Amino acid sequence: MPKTRFTQIGRAIPRREDRRLLTGNGRYVDDIEIPGALHACFVRSPHPHARIVRIDAKAALAMPGVAAVLTGADLAQWTTPLRVAPPIEGLHPVEMTTLPVDKVRFHGDPVACVIARDRYLAEDAAERVEVEYAPLPAVANADQALAEGTALVDESLPSNLVSEQRFSTGDVFARRREAHRVVESAFSQHRQTHLPIETRGCAALWDEGREHLTLHIGSQVPHPLRTQLAARMRLSESQVTISSLDVGGGFGQKIALYREELTVAAASRHLRRPVRWREDRMENLLAASHAREELCRTRAAVTDDGRLLGLELEILEDFGAYCFYPANYLARVVAMILTGPYKVSDYAFVVRVVLTNKCGSGPMRAPMSITSWVMEGTMDAIARELKLDPLEVRRRNMVAAAELPYTMPTGEVIADITPRETLEAAVTRVEYAQFRERQAAARREGRYLGLGLCSVVESTTYGSRFYKAAGIPGSGHEAAWVRIEPSGAVNASLGLGASGQGYETAFSQVVGEGLGVDPASVRIHLGNTDVAPYGMGSRGARGGTAGGATLFLCARDANEKMLAIAAKLLGFDSSEGLRMVEGKVVREVLGERIDTGISFAQLARTAYLDPTALPAGMAPGLDFSRTYDPPPMTYSNAAHVCEVELDVETGAVRILRYVVAEDCGTVLSPVVVEGQQHGAVAMGLSGALLEHMLYDEAAQNITGSLADYLVATATDLPRFEILPMHTPSRGNPVGTKGMAEGGVMGAIGAISNAVNDALAPFGVVAERQPLSPDYLRSLLRGKTP
Amino acid sequence: MDTVDFELSVNGERHAVRAEPRKLLTDVLREDCRLTGTHVGCEHGVCGACTVLVDGRPARACLLYAVQMRGHEITTIEAIAKDGVLSPLQQALHEVHGLQCGFCTAGIVMTFEAYLKENPRPTEEEIRDVLSGNLCRCTGYQNIVEAVLKVVHA
Amino acid sequence: MKPAPFRYHSPGTLDEALALLAEHGAGAKVLAGGQSLGPMMNMRLAQPDALVDINAIAGLDYVREHEKTIEIGALTRHHAIATSPLVRAACPLLAEAARQIGHYAIRQRGTIGGSLAHADPAAQFPLACATLGAEITAAGAGRTRTIAASEFFLSLMSTALEPEEIIVSVTLPKAPTSEGQAYVQFSRRRGDFAIVALAATVRPDAGGHIDQVRLGVGGATDRPMVLAELADCTRGEKADSGWAARLAKAAYDAVAPIDTPRVPAEFRRELVHVLTRRVLVTALERARR
Repeated sequence: MPKTRFTQIGRAIPRREDRRLLTGNGRYVDDIEIPGALHACFVRSPHPHARIVRIDAKAALAMPGVAAVLTGADLAQWTTPLRVAPPIEGLHPVEMTTLPVDKVRFHGDPVACVIARDRYLAEDAAERVEVEYAPLPAVANADQALAEGTALVDESLPSNLVSEQRFSTGDVFARRREAHRVVESAFSQHRQTHLPIETRGCAALWDEGREHLTLHIGSQVPHPLRTQLAARMRLSESQVTISSLDVGGGFGQKIALYREELTVAAASRHLRRPVRWREDRMENLLAASHAREELCRTRAAVTDDGRLLGLELEILEDFGAYCFYPANYLARVVAMILTGPYKVSDYAFVVRVVLTNKCGSGPMRAPMSITSWVMEGTMDAIARELKLDPLEVRRRNMVAAAELPYTMPTGEVIADITPRETLEAAVTRVEYAQFRERQAAARREGRYLGLGLCSVVESTTYGSRFYKAAGIPGSGHEAAWVRIEPSGAVNASLGLGASGQGYETAFSQVVGEGLGVDPASVRIHLGNTDVAPYGMGSRGARGGTAGGATLFLCARDANEKMLAIAAKLLGFDSSEGLRMVEGKVVREVLGERIDTGISFAQLARTAYLDPTALPAGMAPGLDFSRTYDPPPMTYSNAAHVCEVELDVETGAVRILRYVVAEDCGTVLSPVVVEGQQHGAVAMGLSGALLEHMLYDEAAQNITGSLADYLVATATDLPRFEILPMHTPSRGNPVGTKGMAEGGVMGAIGAISNAVNDALAPFGVVAERQPLSPDYLRSLLRGKTP
Repeated sequence: MDTVDFELSVNGERHAVRAEPRKLLTDVLREDCRLTGTHVGCEHGVCGACTVLVDGRPARACLLYAVQMRGHEITTIEAIAKDGVLSPLQQALHEVHGLQCGFCTAGIVMTFEAYLKENPRPTEEEIRDVLSGNLCRCTGYQNIVEAVLKVVHA
Repeated sequence: MKPAPFRYHSPGTLDEALALLAEHGAGAKVLAGGQSLGPMMNMRLAQPDALVDINAIAGLDYVREHEKTIEIGALTRHHAIATSPLVRAACPLLAEAARQIGHYAIRQRGTIGGSLAHADPAAQFPLACATLGAEITAAGAGRTRTIAASEFFLSLMSTALEPEEIIVSVTLPKAPTSEGQAYVQFSRRRGDFAIVALAATVRPDAGGHIDQVRLGVGGATDRPMVLAELADCTRGEKADSGWAARLAKAAYDAVAPIDTPRVPAEFRRELVHVLTRRVLVTALERARR
């Protein structure tokens, strides 16, 4: 990273996106007017697992205004199946058609698509599509999936075990034998869903004359989506435009090309009419994408003073019925980075992923969300078992600044992180020792307070080398362009997909920094694949690190050329000593800045309109593009502390205090970063306490409304106290380390540890989430302090 | 199904509407009146994204049939900024980063434009209580609460 | 999630509304605030042939004081009830319950008549009205009748109302100054339907003994339950925390709650126990003020 101090990067500038969003002038998919568009509605399976015997659409098609009823057989003619088959050891290849042809695999699986004049009519017609099913035995959970003689969710596989991976380094058995104690813990995370307030949706326009498809859609990854859509419709990537303007939240749900979207695109081409679909909330809950259902067990071999000698991890993930992603991909990251800030060299894991008759899983903000809970819950279990202070156990095992860069047992390297510093800052803020006194006093009054610690090491930005090593096809690089127009106006773009992260603000600061101009003069263009460069989009927490760095480097290229032009105009041999400051070229002589009288706009004019004035051999114009591939992995870190009060009579948990010390390096926009910190912690707490995508024993989804799927409201969440820290990454041109998922990881662990601290006098431990009142009561029932 | 003709008064403007009686106010505002600032989030009255004002009182537009609104005055997010100037609440939301993806924002603005008229000096607890009727998946609510407090203490 | 087609009527008078209901029979639904009916229709769980919108009928939105009672018009909105000085003084339990219904925007539209007719066993008004001994007045074609709240709620979302009847008002007894009232509910989040709710009125005598207690449980079974006999048995006992604890234990023993996939029956029973004690203690404290 450059040694000069930033003047635009890191400034707290209110967001540029806000005005249109505050006044009702945003353009979300559904806000785009498309004259003559037909509306789609999907007929969905009421069964978790059944053969499709017959689909009779006669009654629906007879309704005036109904244009078509499409089935899996239709779509199979017009589109290719999705094959997920990366060459990864232990992972079975899988394939799915656009719509099911012969059997449905979960409650909510789409079996037909009605296309009609409006959505009301489409729903009327959908009720009249008769589908005859022959129900099959359903696989409702991971245990059933692995049971002998169970039904096969995917009949092309030998069993429901779609992926199994093992790893071992050192000798965990030897460490167990020599340990003072072997501490076993379990962590069961429940099924959740992303729940963007804007559900999925798209509008497809097929231009028959130009043979071109435009798909309006809220997408986190416009270009990879285009690649997929073109391939599956047997089109060239030059025949497809993806346009994603404002997006009402994504959280990982708006990455994959879903079957509904492909169906709508194919329908538009088939009918030669614009077709649009807006998912309703019930569909979004039942059938968009789920996440997080996994059971982890750890076995920690420890010394009598709580030092970790060896660690073993087992993960069993319930991935649902369909794989839109390689099934091993989420859980394996958990196993790879589990040890986080703790020193241990003997480590082994087994990661198993099974298919069940439930909605398919995918990455949800912090796909590795359970990691910190598992590691920090293990730390707490060690403390409980050895009757040590949990803070002290952490201190004894945590890597110190002098030991960095530190190589985790899996080979992952952490550098430029500050786990001890964030932990100490957070416990100082909550006055840890005094809390223990307050806790003891409260217990004497029959009130149960708990404090939970959770350190987070967040894998934010995956470089191409990480993907290569993991066997996953794809790249971690990002792309950007910067264009300075003849008037001096600045346009810039990159391949990310915004869904609320304030990119237009933060990246205008990055470009402003790189160019030496006011960010207000920079306009960031996102989401249209004809405009933006081919980038890898927004997932993980790569936006600031990969995107910010690429754009900064690109703006520096522009800056360099402009200063070279300035040098020529000033009659200098080189641009050394020249700088662009606030849109003016200055000369730095012995620490003094001297105005040269040349402006940014003048240079732009010259570059375009007076090419003969340019240095010899320089091409006219100011048009720059750049790609950048970040290091294999970038990590940031944080420490979370949560204080709760548990009402032991009702099982209700109230959060009294929440502190986060987070070190995400250089911050592009402190405004945006703080918002992301709040949002991530909120999502973690909401999931750990309230949200639960529940299926019954027959694999029927019983969570079809927001009265069932409970998301935290303003009265459920505390005020968050953030302690920002900024140790830059030396591996990144701007020094950013990424953030925005770690808050979820920390919250899940901190709240669980806090509740278990409150439960401690009763001798019980909560090993699963959600930490619902009835679950906590079931632990407390019959117990006394 | 038969349509009915009726007049709707939205933001002080009269709109002639021809729609089936079952057409929800959300859809009529967005499609017939072309006011797309009112967002559809759940269509069962929980998320609050579609909150508009009916005769000055907040209401879920997804739980109203447009035909019911004859003779009533509807106010939507498009009418809150006056002559290009944000309302104090909109301005405060901008200044303290009270919105991220912005999809829920209109409903929150409409709820509090009404509530602050009824109770101009609420406590943080009262603000959170009222805000609990609007789901936001991005912000964790804190900066929305800050924005309302900023208006209250202005 | 769009409603199925229906015919829409917006009568200007009660008589017209009753005539429409008589004409359509069980195929018609009365539309008041629409905060429960609307979601059911959007999900197509309800598909009535016709809606009779009573919002344009004048004279159904009021709170009136009589000598021993207050009378509330069926179209009175939850927010108006929660904030009415008259209700808060004469019938504080009802105002306290009203404040906890849904959320601010929901309370602006939802009506007491609609809530009672909908008869959700976890809803606030059915429990409050049953506990307080309210009387519900319903108009039918050519007649008006009064139904005791204790006889009004038959089972899950089922009432003594005939298809062609409309609730026009609710009458509730005014609380004497010596009486304390309280409503408490346990729900996962603010504004959610109660998992269990308790309503109580407590009237101690001058000597500090229990004179009269009314106790109602909501959310535990298919309709609000009034534990009249249990409460009556404690008449004459010293009004203190021991009394509250004993009555709470008796309620725990007496109530056999429903078992649902999300909420096991035993947890609901425990809530009945805890909340009964808490509601009685709160009501007693208020009686002493």
